[in-house]
Amino acid sequence: MRRLVMLIGIVFVISIGSFYLIHLLPGDPAVVILGTGASPAAKAILFHQLGLDKPVYLQYFAWISNVARGNMGTSFISQSSVAATIRAALPIDLEIIVLSQILAFAAAIPAAMRSARKPDGALDRLLGASSFTLLSVPPFIIIVLLVLLISIKLGIPHTGPSSYVTLASDPIGNLESLSLPAFTLAIGSFVVYYRVLRSDLIATLQEEFITMARSKGLSQRRIMWRHAFRPSSVALLGTASVNIGGLLASGFVVQYLLAIPGLGYTLITAINMSDYLLVQGIVLTVSVGVVVINFIFDFIINIVDPRISRE
Amino acid sequence: MSEKLLIVKDLSTTFATAGGPLPAVDGVSFDLEQNETLGIVGESGSGKTVLSRTIMGLQPRTNVTVTGSATINGFEVVGASEKAKREIWGTEVAMVFQDPMTSLNPVMRIGKQIDEALRVRLGMDRAAAKARAIELLELVGIPSPVERYNAFPGQLSGGMRQRVVIATALACSPKLLMADEPTTGLDVTIQAQILNLLDELKERLKMSVILVTHDLGVVATRTSRIVVMYAGRIVETGNTRDVFYHHRMPYTRALLESSPKVSNLSHTRLTTIPGRPPNLLNLSDGCSFAPRCSYATDQCHLVRPPLQAADEPGHAFACWNPLPTTRGASSS
Repeated sequence: MRRLVMLIGIVFVISIGSFYLIHLLPGDPAVVILGTGASPAAKAILFHQLGLDKPVYLQYFAWISNVARGNMGTSFISQSSVAATIRAALPIDLEIIVLSQILAFAAAIPAAMRSARKPDGALDRLLGASSFTLLSVPPFIIIVLLVLLISIKLGIPHTGPSSYVTLASDPIGNLESLSLPAFTLAIGSFVVYYRVLRSDLIATLQEEFITMARSKGLSQRRIMWRHAFRPSSVALLGTASVNIGGLLASGFVVQYLLAIPGLGYTLITAINMSDYLLVQGIVLTVSVGVVVINFIFDFIINIVDPRISRE
Repeated sequence: MSEKLLIVKDLSTTFATAGGPLPAVDGVSFDLEQNETLGIVGESGSGKTVLSRTIMGLQPRTNVTVTGSATINGFEVVGASEKAKREIWGTEVAMVFQDPMTSLNPVMRIGKQIDEALRVRLGMDRAAAKARAIELLELVGIPSPVERYNAFPGQLSGGMRQRVVIATALACSPKLLMADEPTTGLDVTIQAQILNLLDELKERLKMSVILVTHDLGVVATRTSRIVVMYAGRIVETGNTRDVFYHHRMPYTRALLESSPKVSNLSHTRLTTIPGRPPNLLNLSDGCSFAPRCSYATDQCHLVRPPLQAADEPGHAFACWNPLPTTRGASSS
């Protein structure tokens, strides 16, 4: 409950931040809408129409009270509803992130389990070395290499730039078109999750309760999954919670490179066009999303480790 | 029923460390009858914990070499695979660990930690295992066991946790219970409760118990025989009475003298053993206790004394200059 109040407070601060930040951006909406040759009088009329002549705090209140009612305004540029634009773009981001996280966890957990069983064994060394290599390659390089290999060499459809298809029109094609971004983001997450879980597992396996589990005559497999995994996964969840926020940002770059019309692509386009309201809306949506994700992960961590909520 | 439950012969455990091989247990031999309680006594670092783990084959899986033999009810533990040892763990031999704060899984309900052994090892179904786990909690004296079944270890006191550890060890009715300093982590008032509980359970369940401790007071009334360890070796062994009253090894006497006595006046300074236990990485060829022993001669520093029989049956000691036999006059 206390956390929920905190959550609302944080969202409020974010909304002010995202609103004010936009006003620091260079660029003039009047120039974008009316063109460079517009007369000062025409500009003044437009500013008045848009409410931009009022003090910033009044602009904020006008905006936030609309946002609270689900109305994020109408873009100066495209004349379309900001909320509708975000609603169309957001599922793409969510899909990419969910896919990438499924891939990352599905690979990182078994890999860490195997590594931790024999630290410094052949498998552990191999995974350790290759994960470091992967960590040092940024996503925008990986995606370019993947496009080169998968879309151009192998010719898998819908994987190249500007070939996005929606989930509704072609589910398989949609999966294909989001597989490269999801895979690219999964690599970074995999490396982080693998390393965090591996080191925690190794520490947990030194614990006395693992020896006790052994002394009950349990199988190695059962000890790993039933006794070692859960107490070792708290740091993993904490890391994932922070990492997913960061993924939104790397997702933006990848989306932009492949022209996938998710939030990231929309945001970068909106910034280039000084589309204030749209930028504000997206920044607010993404920030709230990150806060909510953190909140959910906190909740999960409390369930996974009962010691935390008791303290 | 004179068949031995446990036979330990020339058992050695050596750890590979960065500083070279570390002989934590060196050439230990003893045996244990059915339904007997044996005490293993020694200072911290004397190898008693490693010994008890090696006997049941529970030593770490890497960087360790075990030689000799330890047979539990006919099963040779030394050299057995982890898979083979799982067959005797829980059912033939079980361990009560030293510190109940660390030996229970903090994120698993205690009931689950008990009935997991029942389900995996005895093949009980969920309901039967739960019923048996609650019975076990009751057996070890946990109040309202049905509610406690769902508690996490952090919700219980140290004494209660140690009872849970004992219940877990007893789950599959082992014939041999190894209790490794079962009361060290507990308050003094709780210590006696736990020890009495172990005693009572031993009688009720017809188990043999090995009680590992640094506290001679703990073993005095509860064991029939005692093994005194120093630097990984047995330095004296015999019936509890003989070890207490007719000990020949100066180390045993030093150990006895350093435990507080009720008859002491208050503020009596406790007797201590000068020096500290030797570094196992570079032991001398002589008696390991010689550097701290007031009776030590050149021979003690140069040649290691073998275990030799004393007057009493089953009593043996390793010393070149044993204390005079104290038959007829008790020294303690």
